[in-house]
Amino acid sequence: MENVPTPTFSVSEFLASINQTLEYAYPAIEVEGEVAGFKVNQNKWVFFDLKDAGASIGCFMSVWQLRQPIEDGMTVVVRAVPKVTQWGKFSLTIQSIRPKGEGSLKKSFDLLVAKLDKEGLFAPERKRALPSMPGYIGVISSTQAAGYADFIKIIDDRWSHVRVDVAHVQVQGEGAADQIIRAIRYFNESEELPEVLVIIRGGGSADDLSTFNDEQLAREIAGSRIPTLVGVGHEVDETLADMVADVRAATPSNAAQIVVPDRDEIIRQVRHTLTRAIVQAEVALMSSRRAVDEQLRAIVERIDARHRTLHEQMATIRGVLTAYDPMAVLRRGYAIVRGEASIGSHVEIERTKDIITAEVLHVTKR
Amino acid sequence: MSQNDKTIQQKLAELDGLVAWFDSDDFVLEQALDHYAAAEKLAAEIEHDLSTMKNQITVLKQKFDSAK
Repeated sequence: MENVPTPTFSVSEFLASINQTLEYAYPAIEVEGEVAGFKVNQNKWVFFDLKDAGASIGCFMSVWQLRQPIEDGMTVVVRAVPKVTQWGKFSLTIQSIRPKGEGSLKKSFDLLVAKLDKEGLFAPERKRALPSMPGYIGVISSTQAAGYADFIKIIDDRWSHVRVDVAHVQVQGEGAADQIIRAIRYFNESEELPEVLVIIRGGGSADDLSTFNDEQLAREIAGSRIPTLVGVGHEVDETLADMVADVRAATPSNAAQIVVPDRDEIIRQVRHTLTRAIVQAEVALMSSRRAVDEQLRAIVERIDARHRTLHEQMATIRGVLTAYDPMAVLRRGYAIVRGEASIGSHVEIERTKDIITAEVLHVTKR
Repeated sequence: MSQNDKTIQQKLAELDGLVAWFDSDDFVLEQALDHYAAAEKLAAEIEHDLSTMKNQITVLKQKFDSAK
């Protein structure tokens, strides 16, 4: 050992050698700790310390790598490369950072909700309706996930004749949000756009579902040209992806129920529609019958009225004729005298029951 | 577009149109039977389509694990 010469470096060479050794020993590491002294410089660079009860390490990253809000006191897991800077300061150059533990996840989620809400990303007026019977659906999910299998089964059970293109992506862990973002862009840039984009994932822990609380993913969903339906986790789970989507499904199965209609229900509707036609035809037929009946009744009423009028006219005529009947006058005690009223001539006197011939004895002029 | 090229949604809309005729001012009792026969035929076709057609599900070959 004594014969081995002690290496001599320049400062730069030594730091380069140290960094090379670190890179070799720790090509990628994850470190968990609590954030302290978090600050953003020039809206470009992020600095903070990662500490636990016994130690602290300085951390550095660029703002665009910050996918979720981070605050002092949060427990986070950083994926980083250890490095000694040219000023001899040891630090972690962060590649990604994610909150860990219920409290930190909740805090980060609340901060992001407040930020996106302020920008109006959850506004009800932004929400678009989904097509009622889509012919082409884009699905973004992991094809190995149980939620995906449920989704496809329900689609097949409920509906027919729909084209479903599935983008297989990672739905949890490092890089999952970026994969989903790329899949959303892929569909949005397609020559033929799906009529609806469905993003699904089954249940999981808060850490597993944290992919769907990624700010960039939330913005990508909100900016999708294609209406979006997001069904992540179970009914009680609510993620940012759910909140910015046009429609939220409680679960992947529920997403399938929302996105396509129920075949049996449509068949029932078709039958009901036909029944409606029969009913309407029957109503029209009854209405025609009623119209004919009314016409007939009107004709009968007119005949009756005519008959009554004629009857009344006949009665009037009969009354007049009766009034002019000479026999009626005779029955009242009058007589009809026929012949010349001159002395010595004979006249005929007609009464009700007899006719008398008499001689004129005297004529008095009035 | 032939009847076979139409989507189920288009056929349902056509069926609604045929049935709406029964309630419209164009309704003529003498033509009701013909219209009903057409509606019944279309309804049977929709039911047949729904019962026999399959969904076309394709997992894309495109990979999303890295930026192009």
